[in-house]
Amino acid sequence: MMSLPVRSSDVGSRTPRSSTFLTGEWSVGTGVTRLGGRFLSRGRVALGALHWLSWIIVSPRSVVSGGVARELDTLGVGALRLVGSASILVGLIATFQVAYQLKQYGAESVSALAIGWFATREVGPLVVALLVVTRSASAIAGEFAAMTSGGEIDALRVMGLDPVKYLVAPKLAALFVALPALTVIADGFITFGGWVGTTLFLGFNSRFYLEQIRTSLSTSDIATGVAKSLIFGFVIAIIASDEGLSVDRRVTAIGEAASRAVVYCLLGVLAADTLVNAILYFIPALVL
Amino acid sequence: MPSSTSYPPSSSERALEVHHLTGPASAPIIFEIEIFVARGETLLVLGPIQSGKSMLMRHLVGLECAASGTIAVDGEAFDPTKPEDKALRRLRSRVGVLFEGSALLRRISVLENVELPLLEHEHSSRAQARDAARELLAEVGIQVDDDTMPVQLGRAGQRRVALARALALKPRLMLLDEPTLGLDSPAAHEFDETLHAVQKKYDFGIVIFSHEIRHAYTPANQIDVLAGGRIVARGTRESLLKSDDPVIHGLLHRRERE
Repeated sequence: MMSLPVRSSDVGSRTPRSSTFLTGEWSVGTGVTRLGGRFLSRGRVALGALHWLSWIIVSPRSVVSGGVARELDTLGVGALRLVGSASILVGLIATFQVAYQLKQYGAESVSALAIGWFATREVGPLVVALLVVTRSASAIAGEFAAMTSGGEIDALRVMGLDPVKYLVAPKLAALFVALPALTVIADGFITFGGWVGTTLFLGFNSRFYLEQIRTSLSTSDIATGVAKSLIFGFVIAIIASDEGLSVDRRVTAIGEAASRAVVYCLLGVLAADTLVNAILYFIPALVL
Repeated sequence: MPSSTSYPPSSSERALEVHHLTGPASAPIIFEIEIFVARGETLLVLGPIQSGKSMLMRHLVGLECAASGTIAVDGEAFDPTKPEDKALRRLRSRVGVLFEGSALLRRISVLENVELPLLEHEHSSRAQARDAARELLAEVGIQVDDDTMPVQLGRAGQRRVALARALALKPRLMLLDEPTLGLDSPAAHEFDETLHAVQKKYDFGIVIFSHEIRHAYTPANQIDVLAGGRIVARGTRESLLKSDDPVIHGLLHRRERE
């Protein structure tokens, strides 16, 4: 990717994000200032979005709520097929991996236990988050970047309409609903994939598999996964929106914003997951 | 159109008053701008592309942070060097803006576009806002179904919808950036007529930012020529036509082939 020279007349008062992090022209000094600016602007978007989110909950008949339904349709319902099919494959992969590892200890028969536990606590929410990042983070950032370069964001601001309220808050609300729902669905499909794998290829009995899944799964595992997915939804909505809203007004900025959004969302989701896992490991009392 | 009045207009009837505006603070592009518009009158800011027209307009609605200067809209002063939320909100409810290329929200319908400012600022109900939006659209000569999207209207239609949206809050001042750019001449002419009809009705001041010389032939009370970020000349069409300044001459006259 090539970064284009930016003329001051193109830019406006907002400092544009250049893509030096992606192109490799990156030094510690500029990196630190950029990182600082990025955190500040993410923080502003996050606070604003949470503020307006509560507003959406309080007055569900507002203008913005129509937007929530539409976002839910694109971000959630639209991802069903992808999440479903990917989850079945993940279930199959998990079966083979787990069975292969456990075989060495002669414990192949407990692989269903491991699948159920691993799927709901870790793989389910993470796979869903990564799928939503690849599918929607670029779309969100691209949409907002196109609106910025087309002057729509400025038009909103000039009419006294806060873009965070009208654009980001509905996306955040939709992801807060869609991600946990998709996670539960993915849990189901991964378990189904595991069932297909264990019965068809490993020769287990269906009853045995389901029995094991039932003993291994507890409500707290599913709740942990759902809680994680809420955090991932927040990370995705804020990073992707912020990347889209803080581009300058060049057309090439749209693609750059989209690819930056995917990169930072992936990193953000993985970082958040690491953090949550570390906290749950070191403070086991927090495990629901 | 009211007849041309003395310049600058007396302070009581000024829709817009700008003094010594230099900005943006980070890297100034416009310098020492002084402009005035009286209510009910039209100012044309004429200048070549990249002369700082859009930047000037962005300053007037607080989208850019100025290095120095003062701005007053409808008699109320606003500090452009540190735009703060409350003052911005008040300022923006008095100013209607038509951006270059209309800048309608593409994902929502035409009616919703016009409703949006009404719902945000006037606390009107959905039904009231819808009626008001239909009325505004009728005023600019647009009739749409509930679910007509902006892209279905074409460029001239979108420009009219943007005008209706800018009218929604009954502004005291209307800013238009290249309002007829890309329209064919009959459409541009009709747009001018609509604009002047609504101006007569609501009595707001207009500032048109354009490089198109055709605006000089519509009833603009005053023409300011902007070049290199500075106002280099001002006057009526007749007085500017007589000017010998090469920039003004180049803007207003067709160059003869040698």
